[in-house]
Amino acid sequence: MTETTPLSHYVRSSRLDYQLRYELLGKALLRVQRWRDQRKLAGLRPREDSVLNPPLRCVAYMKEMMSRHYLEGRYANGVRKVAWVTSGAPAELLKALDFFLIYPENHAALCGVRRKAESLCEEAEHDGYSRDICSYGRTDIGAMLSGKTPAGRLPRPDLLLCCTNICQTVLYWYRVLAAHFGCPLILIDTPFLYHEAEAHQVAYVQRQLEEMVSVAEQVAGRSFSERSFMQVVDHSRRASELWLEVLNRSRHRPAPMTAFDGFIHMGPIVDMRGDPETTDYYERMLDELDERIRNGVGAIKEERYRVLWDNLPIWYKIGDFSKWLGGHGVNVVASTYTYAWGELSPMIDPSKPFESMARVYLHPILNRSTGHKLSSMQRMVDEFHLDGVILHSDRSCKPYSLGQIDQRDHLVQEMGIPALLLEADHNDPRAYAEEQSTQRLEAFIEMMEARA
Amino acid sequence: MPIADRLTARKAIIERVRGLGRKVVAVLPFHYPRALLRAYRLHPIEVWGPPNVPRDKGSQHFQAYTCDIVLKATSFLLRGGMDPVDAILVPHTCDALQGMASVTADFLKPRQPVLTLYLPRGCRDSDRAFLIAELRRLAGCCAEISGHKPNEADWAEAFAAEEAADRALASLYQRRPRLALSDRDFYTAVRSREFLTAEDFGELAASLPEGDPPADGVGLMLSGIVAEPLELFDRINEMGAHVVADDLACGYRRVYPPAAESDPFARIAAQLLACPPDPTRGSPIEQRVAALRSRMRESGAQGLLIYDVKFCEPELFDIPLLRKHLAAAGLPVLHVEFEMGMTVSRQVLTRIEAFVETLQ
Repeated sequence: MTETTPLSHYVRSSRLDYQLRYELLGKALLRVQRWRDQRKLAGLRPREDSVLNPPLRCVAYMKEMMSRHYLEGRYANGVRKVAWVTSGAPAELLKALDFFLIYPENHAALCGVRRKAESLCEEAEHDGYSRDICSYGRTDIGAMLSGKTPAGRLPRPDLLLCCTNICQTVLYWYRVLAAHFGCPLILIDTPFLYHEAEAHQVAYVQRQLEEMVSVAEQVAGRSFSERSFMQVVDHSRRASELWLEVLNRSRHRPAPMTAFDGFIHMGPIVDMRGDPETTDYYERMLDELDERIRNGVGAIKEERYRVLWDNLPIWYKIGDFSKWLGGHGVNVVASTYTYAWGELSPMIDPSKPFESMARVYLHPILNRSTGHKLSSMQRMVDEFHLDGVILHSDRSCKPYSLGQIDQRDHLVQEMGIPALLLEADHNDPRAYAEEQSTQRLEAFIEMMEARA
Repeated sequence: MPIADRLTARKAIIERVRGLGRKVVAVLPFHYPRALLRAYRLHPIEVWGPPNVPRDKGSQHFQAYTCDIVLKATSFLLRGGMDPVDAILVPHTCDALQGMASVTADFLKPRQPVLTLYLPRGCRDSDRAFLIAELRRLAGCCAEISGHKPNEADWAEAFAAEEAADRALASLYQRRPRLALSDRDFYTAVRSREFLTAEDFGELAASLPEGDPPADGVGLMLSGIVAEPLELFDRINEMGAHVVADDLACGYRRVYPPAAESDPFARIAAQLLACPPDPTRGSPIEQRVAALRSRMRESGAQGLLIYDVKFCEPELFDIPLLRKHLAAAGLPVLHVEFEMGMTVSRQVLTRIEAFVETLQ
């Protein structure tokens, strides 16, 4: 059953390669690139022909961090143990065992932003995967089968860690990965919370976290240290707190960043939470946002309407949406999606790492009821002083999307604000109709104008 | 006489079980603890659509990319189809049913309580312990609905009845080659477990005649969630094929082996966790391939027909690897998707027909 043919695109590196190409040359080149980017960004002034103000300067650091991450991945096999993990998985445990982590969802999003997802989806479809399954899954399976990736090369996993707190889809997807790579799959199953979490649900997740240690130790070839785990959890907590603060800065008017910026800047909190440099990065970002707030600089030049985005972004349209909406005076200042990596930070307690991580990983918005999501959106409408809500009805993400029709109706009826259901797919552009979407967005803006 | 004509209508069954002091629960697909419901004096009537209900009311709450089981069951609820029942139980089978349970409880707010059951996706000790606790939680909800807390005798009676019905179902599958039943009649009998009492199902199963099976020709194994409408079996027979085995959620995937635990909750958990390999329960693909290969060989199935309700993600992910590994074992696979209705589309039938021809 296991894929036995050698996969040419998964290469074992030597320690020398790793040291030379990643540690020495790669890091230095990326640092030089970052200096160049910094200089370029520092020299940017608002352009008359642009509806947006110049991007945040800290993006140069983020680009360096993410590039370094994927560069290390190219040479990781044979040097570090590699785990592929879902975006909502308790990665802190693996970090404490020095695993190098790859987040297939983040990789798929990268493919989406670079507009490579469609061809990778087609690779998967050519192999028999239906167009009706999640486009993240299809993108990554396509990359796995073809070896094509804008990241250069992904390392082959020694371990898979799948947590069902975002959907059941990841389990089906990771079973395919497990069959393909023939490596152990650790499942952290998180019961869906229709109401508040009950003791047996927390105990179940905690026990699975405790049980995964021995499997991970075996693969890692080293012993687990609770002290290291607590340190990683502490970094994770601090980074999540900072990320929440970053997002909450958009409560200011004008908002210093857009949710589209948030989608891009969430890379480190998804991929590198638990690393000290992630904390440094969000401190830097927060400083820059505060500077913008002090100077009254918004992300868009003329912020007339403030909007909430629900669900995953439409990765291949981020730039277009940002400009088009900005051109109509619409700033998408908040999103339920980016909040998911920040709102649980108060639950993280490094002194009780297993119990608190069990609680945290049970409570993402995607693992909670449709009524809870509505309440979260209503709270955000108030706290961010919003004029409307765009609910991305994401064909590829059913747990996020089912319930949106009623959520929209409640937002309109109870809060009296316009709310738009926008049909698309987070990674597959073939499920997006440009003309129809534009017309619906125009009508949505007209409704906000009528209310103003 | 066709089996369907021998079955008591659901409405009459509801009246009868009420007469026995039981309340009625509408149950969505598909793993759930029958013995627990019975011990708490509840009777399940399952809802798999139904196929004859329009999607309209469901479409007012769920997007077009939602599976028909959820769309139609929601329509059925909003059209008053579940009015006679006292509670609605939605097991956590997939993301779509999770969405349905949540929307129903949070927004549709029917008169009846909406009960849920999370089924763990593994078979580890932690999964078993969790499922036992989850069943105890469900039992608390059941007690509120029926006002009854079972004693030892109630549990013993419930296990005796439901396990006898489980054995009767397993026996039906074992006797399948010897039963003088058309495919339609066989699956009508299997699926009557969805609403009959355990005793009535046992009686029906025992009464089915043995003899020469009416259908012959190419043997197929049928996989998926639910084979609707039953007309499908007639059309398959007309093509010169017949269904010799299945891997259906409404069929063989619920042939639970007996368990011997003394604690009732542990016993139910053991049974549910020991179900045949099932993608909705997170079974590794290797297990599914091995089980399908072995059962196809035993039953003489020449090909696997995967008949999926449109947008059923748990089933869709496994298909390429199932196809690859079964084909390597000389067992061809055809995957078709259908929209649930009263007839099978011509397009679907043409594909099945072509598949049968290649097997002939």
